[in-house]
Amino acid sequence: MELDTLLKKNYIILDGAMGTMLQSQGLEAGDIPELLSITEPEKIINIHKSYIEAGSNIIYANTFGANRYKLEACKYSVSEIVKAAVSNAKKACEGTDTLTALDIGPIGQLLEPTGNLKFEEAYDIFKEIIVSGKDADIIVFETMTDLYEVKAGLLAAKENSDKPIIVTMTFEENMRTFTGCSLSSMAITLEGLGADAIGVNCSLGPRELYPIIEEMSRWTNLPIVIKPNAGLPDPITNKYSITPVEFAQCIGKLNKFGIKYVGGCCGTDPDFIRETVKVLDTLKPVVNKKEIPSAICSSVKTVTVDMPRIIGERINPTGKKLFKEALKNKDIDYILGQAIEQVQGGAEILDVNVGLPDIDEKEMMVTAIKAIQSVTDVPLQIDSTIPEVLEAALRVYNGKPIVNSVNGEEESLANVLPLVKKYGAAVVGLTLDSNGIPPKAEKRIEIAEKIMKRALAEGIPKRDIYIDCLTLTASAEQAAVIETLKAVEEVKNGLGLHTVLGVSNISFGLPNRTLINSCFLTMALTKGLDLPIINPNTEAMTGAVRAYRLLANHDVNSAEFIDTYGSISSEPIQKASAEHTLEYAIEKGLKSEAKAITSKLLETMEPMEVINEIVIPSLDKAGNEFEKGRIFLPQLILSAGVAQEAFDEIKKKIAKTDEKTISKGKIVIATVKGDIHDIGKNIVKVLLENYGYTVIDLGKDVEYERVVNAVRENNCRLVGLSALMTTTLGAMADTIKLIRENGLDCKIMVGGAVLTPDYAKRIGADYYSKDAKQSVDIAKKVLG
Amino acid sequence: MTKIENINRAEALRYMGYKKGMEISGMGPLIDKCEEELINTIIPRYCFRIFEIEPYHRFVRLINCSLELKGKDISAHLKDCGKAIVLAATLSSHTDKLINKYKISDMTSAFILDCLASAAIEQICDIAEKEILASVGTDNATWRFSPGYGDLPIEQQRDIINCLNAEKLIGLTVTDSNILIPRKSVTAVIGVSEKEIPKGKKGCSICSMSDTCQYRKRGEHCGA
Repeated sequence: MELDTLLKKNYIILDGAMGTMLQSQGLEAGDIPELLSITEPEKIINIHKSYIEAGSNIIYANTFGANRYKLEACKYSVSEIVKAAVSNAKKACEGTDTLTALDIGPIGQLLEPTGNLKFEEAYDIFKEIIVSGKDADIIVFETMTDLYEVKAGLLAAKENSDKPIIVTMTFEENMRTFTGCSLSSMAITLEGLGADAIGVNCSLGPRELYPIIEEMSRWTNLPIVIKPNAGLPDPITNKYSITPVEFAQCIGKLNKFGIKYVGGCCGTDPDFIRETVKVLDTLKPVVNKKEIPSAICSSVKTVTVDMPRIIGERINPTGKKLFKEALKNKDIDYILGQAIEQVQGGAEILDVNVGLPDIDEKEMMVTAIKAIQSVTDVPLQIDSTIPEVLEAALRVYNGKPIVNSVNGEEESLANVLPLVKKYGAAVVGLTLDSNGIPPKAEKRIEIAEKIMKRALAEGIPKRDIYIDCLTLTASAEQAAVIETLKAVEEVKNGLGLHTVLGVSNISFGLPNRTLINSCFLTMALTKGLDLPIINPNTEAMTGAVRAYRLLANHDVNSAEFIDTYGSISSEPIQKASAEHTLEYAIEKGLKSEAKAITSKLLETMEPMEVINEIVIPSLDKAGNEFEKGRIFLPQLILSAGVAQEAFDEIKKKIAKTDEKTISKGKIVIATVKGDIHDIGKNIVKVLLENYGYTVIDLGKDVEYERVVNAVRENNCRLVGLSALMTTTLGAMADTIKLIRENGLDCKIMVGGAVLTPDYAKRIGADYYSKDAKQSVDIAKKVLG
Repeated sequence: MTKIENINRAEALRYMGYKKGMEISGMGPLIDKCEEELINTIIPRYCFRIFEIEPYHRFVRLINCSLELKGKDISAHLKDCGKAIVLAATLSSHTDKLINKYKISDMTSAFILDCLASAAIEQICDIAEKEILASVGTDNATWRFSPGYGDLPIEQQRDIINCLNAEKLIGLTVTDSNILIPRKSVTAVIGVSEKEIPKGKKGCSICSMSDTCQYRKRGEHCGA
């Protein structure tokens, strides 16, 4: 029997708990239940049989934790355990119509960026299980809490098997998983990636799951799976709270949400399944066929395209000297700073473009996507002209992104659309083709229609196609402005597609660009523009979108608008007051003032003068106060942070005047392999940078070779290593050893709470730095 | 989920390196802002199990559990106890994400948040301990003993997580180098006895950090 045949039944009955059954038969806390598939197969087969007798159509093999990580200490391999478990399940199913599922639970380690398991490693771990369990009829992922981990698993399943895939995740009463994944994000991401059914298991009982299943059903028309616990456990006895009959009654109440697969999780046994079958026999299934909102997401934030949403345009090197420099130096923090600033400005989606001729765009894109997702929750728009770059980014993106872009050219359609489909993204379609951008609206609409038809044929839903009718520069092609607006209106109303538009281009070459941009933006919004790509840090632009949302009755009761502007007085914010000096701002931690004062100082002083005569002496003063115990660490970091503002102003000025950037020398810093404590290292970085050193920050958990390579590539004369645990001091010693073996001419300073000057000397470091202030003293000594 | 209204300011300040007599007034508003944001971000959770125990000289056996606590220090710690509470608590991964964001945009806030979160997780452990002891109906308990302290191997973080099923119950995991993820988390063992046990305090003599401890150098105690 195949799942397709099974699907003709009204409901598909899954099994109940395996762990609960094994515990009642003497399994101890901390034991590995998967081992029993080899050591006591009869026990497992009997549990399977008891569920089959109770009415289960699918039973889950005893493979929940059968992964490389959890079986590390066990003498059997993943393959041996998975094969034995699947074979036991198949034996139990012999002579019945029941199917066997390969059951896959969480790996047990959290993925990056929260944890340190790499996405690619997670993929490999899942692949091993899937290949070993190829004899099962179905693949199930369950009890998942991290959408990113599910994505790794789902891709591994899709690419290494043709079996149907069911995914259930575990939600808390706050409607989110432990990692913050929402039901909407789960549903739209997994449906896009091609799961055959999705749902919820564990965590709560069927009564508490009501609002959770209700919410999930709003976001998908896939069959819904539920496998609840037997109520809630008593914290002392671990006994669950409801009876099989109550359980079944609560399940019945969930029927209206389109449940198709039903079973039980912790605390359930064959009686729960039997009672559930009885209740479902009296019900008619409900098939979901509602309209799903157009939306994209990260794992924690879903953005629906039901009103204009702001896409931030700033992560793009075009025409930006500092950005280009950052890309060449692999300065990911610069990009992250841009991301955070835009979100604070009001961006709801961020466009990410890191294309530059001399860099490895694919590698940089993957790094940028992962890093940006570690510090913001907004969904991303992956922006590249190269399909390989798009695919690499689509793989590692957590959630459902937008692909920017495809166009009407045959090659683009053939290369990009299959990627959009495979990874379940939304896509921007540019209304141009091999003949360029058509001057007239009609032709652009034709291209939009062509893109739509091709996308639909590829299986991409209409709600996920966003058309960009393309903005031309008003100064060069004044008459074309109105054509763009016409096209937007027709694509929106005639074709019924969502629209996206890069706005800022309109004013290129004109004075008072903001005025032109905001006016054009408002015009486009009234024509039906959904996704303006703008600079969200420009108040006039985000303000225009917010005002439009209010006036078009999207912002109900003007709540968002009042929340944003209600507390701001209409008086312009006071600029830096004259009596404050930069010294004073650095001492007192006045960030915004420092920026304004520096910019004023630069009118009369040379950049180097400001640095050497004001910034550094002020920092020295704060450093001395800190050493003497008059101020404490947060105050020192704050002063350094203010100095940073001054430095940023100075850098901007230098970038404008085309002078070479000034640096007192490069320093590589890293938290050593195995260690992920990086607060101290980051404080050191802030201080060093504000004394004018260029810091190449390799991050945390850094491989020995990466340190060596960075020192060599940058000709660094000083390296700073940090370790916070006695257990990672060995990695620090090994890193130093490798630097020495490679004969690199550099000094090494080390720091971290567990180090002593003696130990530093013993492992071959040149300097021991007891705090951030001292690392500056060392840098002065080594680099001047 | 466990809630706290305020974070222990004195503790957090101590983690920040604050000593009596330092000028602090200017930092107050920023610390207040960080505290508010942190309290709105954390989703504290804890889980525990109570086991009967058999303390031996160099290890402690937990009944009905595959876990065996190793070392003479934990054995001495639990020597008068018939039971042990094995506890795990976390502030959730949202806390890590918040601090990571500030590491990019504002290092001062990142550092303050990190110290506040360290104070907060201890408060959560205090609450958990109180609630558990109340449900057991006793006051006769030892202080919390965690892996990495004395000669209880830090590698046992993983064993404790496994035996509590803490990954599934509260989303707590551990890296290959035995760091708990989410970062602001604690695992600990509390001995419970029939009879009164002397209210000892965690001492420095068996602490693996005693040579380098910043608090000790200042003549203070880490307070843990």
